[in-house]
Amino acid sequence: MNKNVVEIIDALSAHEDLSSISVLEELGTNSPDNEVREYTSRALVRKNVHDSLAVVIINQGKGINDLSPAVAMSTINEILSLKDKSEVIKILDDTISMHSDEVVKENARSVKSLLALS
Amino acid sequence: MSRIQKVDLNVGQKIINPFKTSRSSAVTNPFKYSNFEGNTLQFADVFEGFENKKTSKLKMITSSVAGSMTKIRTSITEPIKTFVNRIKNSMSNAWEYAKNTNIELPEIPALKNVSERINSTLQMDIADIGKSIGNSISGRVSHINSNLTEIGKTMSAEWSKLLGKLNGNKITSETSVDELRKMWEAEIAIAKEAA
Repeated sequence: MNKNVVEIIDALSAHEDLSSISVLEELGTNSPDNEVREYTSRALVRKNVHDSLAVVIINQGKGINDLSPAVAMSTINEILSLKDKSEVIKILDDTISMHSDEVVKENARSVKSLLALS
Repeated sequence: MSRIQKVDLNVGQKIINPFKTSRSSAVTNPFKYSNFEGNTLQFADVFEGFENKKTSKLKMITSSVAGSMTKIRTSITEPIKTFVNRIKNSMSNAWEYAKNTNIELPEIPALKNVSERINSTLQMDIADIGKSIGNSISGRVSHINSNLTEIGKTMSAEWSKLLGKLNGNKITSETSVDELRKMWEAEIAIAKEAA
């Protein structure tokens, strides 16, 4: 992966401005490059705020729902390694109970089970 | 037999004591007639050891300063809480002693007023004073600690910025989101062109 892109994603991940989340979602999670999607998803999880976690949990084809197993697994690992898991559990619960897509629901349920086991 | 007769003593005979010293008042100086032939003692040398030695003032000052420094060092290493408690106890003891000592003031109105005022002022709880001193000191220490942490953080941030500038690296979390977006879009465009 391009060194400049890595630095841009890191800078956006550490940015306090919430508009950085939309940039990461728009340019990172929609990238055709698996590595960029993986790195962006992990950066969004590290932010550990509602909006960034929602991007990688409730959107089809992004984060834990990515078609690439490497991207999905990498995102799940990052979620499992969070110190404060309160926000992610809340979003997972909401997704399990309210999301319209069965696949997204099933993925959220799996991640929650993993969280319970960890 | 004749020998024995010689040894035999008469009761009235006077015994001469060979160890008896002369106490005659006529002889006052036993060395009066002695000739030392120039081997007289040098009195100045004999009493040399009794002369006052000149001690260095500088040495005395140095030793006293060293002693004071040692005392200060021990007082600094003493924990603040222990120090406060010790001061509090000594103040309390002093106050107890003062209270239990009968001091009779003459019946002068002005003096009586002064006495009453002093008593009313000293009714304050000494323990509270100690506590407030302790709280004040601990508060200041924590304030200093937090200030040092803030200074450390600021220095770290400034240092990172400086290093970033030296390395020609402009991509930091200080860069605005719009600029980062433009940079990323530029990178995507370059990648597309290369492909």
